[in-house]
Amino acid sequence: MQTSFRINHDVRKQSKSASLKLDQWLIYSIMACITVIVFLPMLVVLFASFKTAPQIGNDFPLQLPSLTNLNLENYMVVFTKGKILLGFKNSIFLVVISVAVNALLGTMTTYCLHRFDFKFKKTLIALFALGMVIPGQICEIARFSIMSRIGVYNTIWAPVIIYAAADLMQLYIYMQFIDKIPVSLDESAMIDGATYFQIFYKIIFPLLKPATATLAIIKAVEVMNDMYIPYLYMPSAKLRTVTTTLMSFSSSQFSAWEYLSAAIVVVMVPTILIYIVFQKYIFAGIVAGAVKE
Amino acid sequence: MNSLKTQKNVLLITFLFIPVLLLLVFVVYPTLKLLQTSFTSWDGFSEVQQIIGFKNYKDLIFNSKEIWVSLKNNFLYFIIHLGFIPLEIIAAVILNSKLRGMKFFKSVVFMPYIINGVAVAYAFSFFFSPVNGALNEILKMLSLEGWIQNWLSNPSVVNYSLVSVSLWRYSGFHIVLFLAALQSIPEDIIEAAVVDGANAFKRLIFIILPSIKIVVELMLFLNLRGALQVFDIPFVITQGGPGTASSTFALSTIQMAFKYKNFGMASTMGISLIMMIVVFNWVQKNIFGLKEGK
Repeated sequence: MQTSFRINHDVRKQSKSASLKLDQWLIYSIMACITVIVFLPMLVVLFASFKTAPQIGNDFPLQLPSLTNLNLENYMVVFTKGKILLGFKNSIFLVVISVAVNALLGTMTTYCLHRFDFKFKKTLIALFALGMVIPGQICEIARFSIMSRIGVYNTIWAPVIIYAAADLMQLYIYMQFIDKIPVSLDESAMIDGATYFQIFYKIIFPLLKPATATLAIIKAVEVMNDMYIPYLYMPSAKLRTVTTTLMSFSSSQFSAWEYLSAAIVVVMVPTILIYIVFQKYIFAGIVAGAVKE
Repeated sequence: MNSLKTQKNVLLITFLFIPVLLLLVFVVYPTLKLLQTSFTSWDGFSEVQQIIGFKNYKDLIFNSKEIWVSLKNNFLYFIIHLGFIPLEIIAAVILNSKLRGMKFFKSVVFMPYIINGVAVAYAFSFFFSPVNGALNEILKMLSLEGWIQNWLSNPSVVNYSLVSVSLWRYSGFHIVLFLAALQSIPEDIIEAAVVDGANAFKRLIFIILPSIKIVVELMLFLNLRGALQVFDIPFVITQGGPGTASSTFALSTIQMAFKYKNFGMASTMGISLIMMIVVFNWVQKNIFGLKEGK
């Protein structure tokens, strides 16, 4: 009796582990397929960026470029004639300014909306909500004439203003965070004689730092990747961002795949490095930002 | 007490002045302006804006075949992304398992979303290119010459090519959102189901799906709004071409304004798009009962 039971048990265990192995095999092959799909277009571009035009014409796209005699000419063109570094400079400037402006205005607005009651508060919140509903590019049809009238067209301030005025997602993120800061903290500070201004910059602003970090991540990704606003409002070659520099590559005299490929790689690599380092925060930030809708 | 009230008013005015000004000048005013322009035949630079009533709206509905075609393209993005939701959920379930390497795969899957969209668009222009394009070369190597296509210049194929770029770019993002939802399911519920003998499929149908119902609904609407607003991918890769075959509603709107200088019609289209989004938001909140922030 005992032995038969035992054998039975063993058999079950064995078949279970066998099916587990099959499952695992299936799972890993699915994931391998996905990985190939993700990397395939990027690898083609990476390889092409080290090849000459005739090589791109003759080689199979996934053939490695010759490593002994690496062709860096395409990259030279991207950095010299393409002026990609200027693009990075402008993009980084835009990111820094936008994050600073949005963090400041966002925390200030949130403090007022969350901690105080006042006339027209509901109207104001409704107007902010309106800003979230209107699709970005569509609004430019009407915004375009305003921007030229106030004289920011073709200056770096046009995108700064639009990012500050129209991206209201930060309000949502800050609102969620400030909700967790107890009002009693404000009250005890008031008893100690703090003014509202002091409460803001000594308590609320510092305690909202994690939300600001989230905002900074989302904003940086958005601003670096934004195409249409810089394209529409900053046609000047001096004001090109990373994205519009890349676009100039495809429409200008260097519109050959070898140069464009090198430019794509130069644009992708910093983002991928930042992504690898800050992955955890990027996941958290993007998820928090998406769930708002 | 009175001084406290003054202090409050001073604070509200100083803190809210700039945000409210920006909001009024760059969001509220343009929206009203858009509404007003939608009743005119304005060309974008004339001093006079001739009022033509609802003519633009009538033309949009009855007289604009290309615009309806572009809206149909938006629908294609919606339907195909919708079809991918079950696959995305399965991928998220796999990534949520405690097998080795899943962290790595999660990073891989999300990477396309983080990369510059224009870089992605050009990488795919190259990938699909008829001259030296990787996809056709790979098909040739696999002896699938019959499948070779002009991926971006054949009007009946181009939209599928562009939707595949959209899938490549956004599926990982969706998977990570589903994954975040899965991770919020308490583990003991799943363990209890395992003890009760529920297999992986049963666990998926009876426990996992009901627990992430809210995120699935959220994704439906994210997808709907996203599909309605597709712009970047066709704008960069095909400019809506060949002809207007791969145009989308937002792209035709922008081209109507800046290319054809018909700001009146473009505004009408913009207002229609906003109305569609508002309707979907209303449906989401009132019919599905989703509260904001949940």
